[in-house]
Amino acid sequence: MHELDDHDSIILCRSCDLAVRKRALPSSARALCPRCDTALYDAPYCSINGMLAMCVAALIIFIPANLLPVLEIHFLGSIRTTTVFEAAIAVWAQGYWVVGLAVMVAAVIAPAVLILSILTQVLIVKLKLQQSFWQRTYTSLLKNQGLIAQMTMLEIYVISFLVSAFQLSDFSDVYFGMGTFSFTMLFVIILFLQREYNLEHMWSFVDEH
Amino acid sequence: MSTKHTCEQVDNEVSTTVNHTDTAPVHIQGNQMGLCLCPVCKKLNLTTNSNCRRCYSKLATRNYASVQQSWALLVTATILLVLANVYPITLLTNRGVVTNDTIFSGISHLVQTGMFPIAIIVFTASILVPWLKIFGLATYLAAISFNLPISKRKLMVGFHVIEWIGRWSMLDLFVISLTVALVNMGQLLDAKPAPAATAFALVILLTQLAAKVLDTRLLWDRLEKT
Repeated sequence: MHELDDHDSIILCRSCDLAVRKRALPSSARALCPRCDTALYDAPYCSINGMLAMCVAALIIFIPANLLPVLEIHFLGSIRTTTVFEAAIAVWAQGYWVVGLAVMVAAVIAPAVLILSILTQVLIVKLKLQQSFWQRTYTSLLKNQGLIAQMTMLEIYVISFLVSAFQLSDFSDVYFGMGTFSFTMLFVIILFLQREYNLEHMWSFVDEH
Repeated sequence: MSTKHTCEQVDNEVSTTVNHTDTAPVHIQGNQMGLCLCPVCKKLNLTTNSNCRRCYSKLATRNYASVQQSWALLVTATILLVLANVYPITLLTNRGVVTNDTIFSGISHLVQTGMFPIAIIVFTASILVPWLKIFGLATYLAAISFNLPISKRKLMVGFHVIEWIGRWSMLDLFVISLTVALVNMGQLLDAKPAPAATAFALVILLTQLAAKVLDTRLLWDRLEKT
């Protein structure tokens, strides 16, 4: 293992395997691979308290975002509303469960898991939980973080409100409600949460013990 | 941005400290130094170790099978994408008249009603992005498999663009699910999904997997002579 410590300032590009010497960066700068331009690392900018606050805010706004209708149409006197969850179920009920599952995972399940996962990680770090159960939980959450982040597609869903509203306005009146507002706020909070979150920095807490 | 600036300095430091005997800046693969990254947590490890020293995942220097896996996923995705474009994606009943809409006819309908910005968004997300992704990945894989003389740096930039933009194809599925949930007034006005929706969902899943599974370092192992 002592051999590796000599190499501690060297990192490898994950896209092209180039060996690059690490150096201190000013904040808001990002080091790119000199050969293939892949982002290598940036200055740790990962405030535990800030993330805790955003996790709590996201959890609170998650409830109205998923319980209140996000779109409402008025057509010849009849009113139809839908929540994000109902929209996924509606496709599923028509027999297209692949589509329904994809929508459900990307817009409801993955964001919920993402918030809970980051909240657990932040609490473990903040409360300094050293028991092996918490450490194992922490490691396995970090291992799955990339996948969950990739499956969260709130930004695309927000755009899809607009596209659907324009398409439906062709033959009916379309209204946005508090649900739309809450869902958009959920997207904004998670966007900032993911900007604050730094996976490499979270892994460094494992290195310390 | 200041990003470019830092990367050059990183490059200089590497070429001076790693290879003392060689004065010219030589790009050294981590593999040649006996180092590799953990495939799960990206921690630096010795290639002689069998498990990561941080997260205990199994280490592998390269995933040579990933090129084949990626090709297989890509071919399947291409077949499904053809089906997704040929078959109808939604079934609209308007006052008893049933119309089948394919992805393309949906967009041309948007153009006819004068909603150009929305038509451009839907065209980009449902037609341009999936095809670009498949051609882009095919070029990338062909460059590895057949050693094509294409600039590796450009391929890599293209690959990162594909990785990022691929998610946006989900837009069409979200719109379909919202429409199906809202428009359900029997013979008067009713929208239902049609077979192409499943094919399209699978195209997104398979192309994302094809990009994720591929070990891009295989391209760079064959170092350029120039």
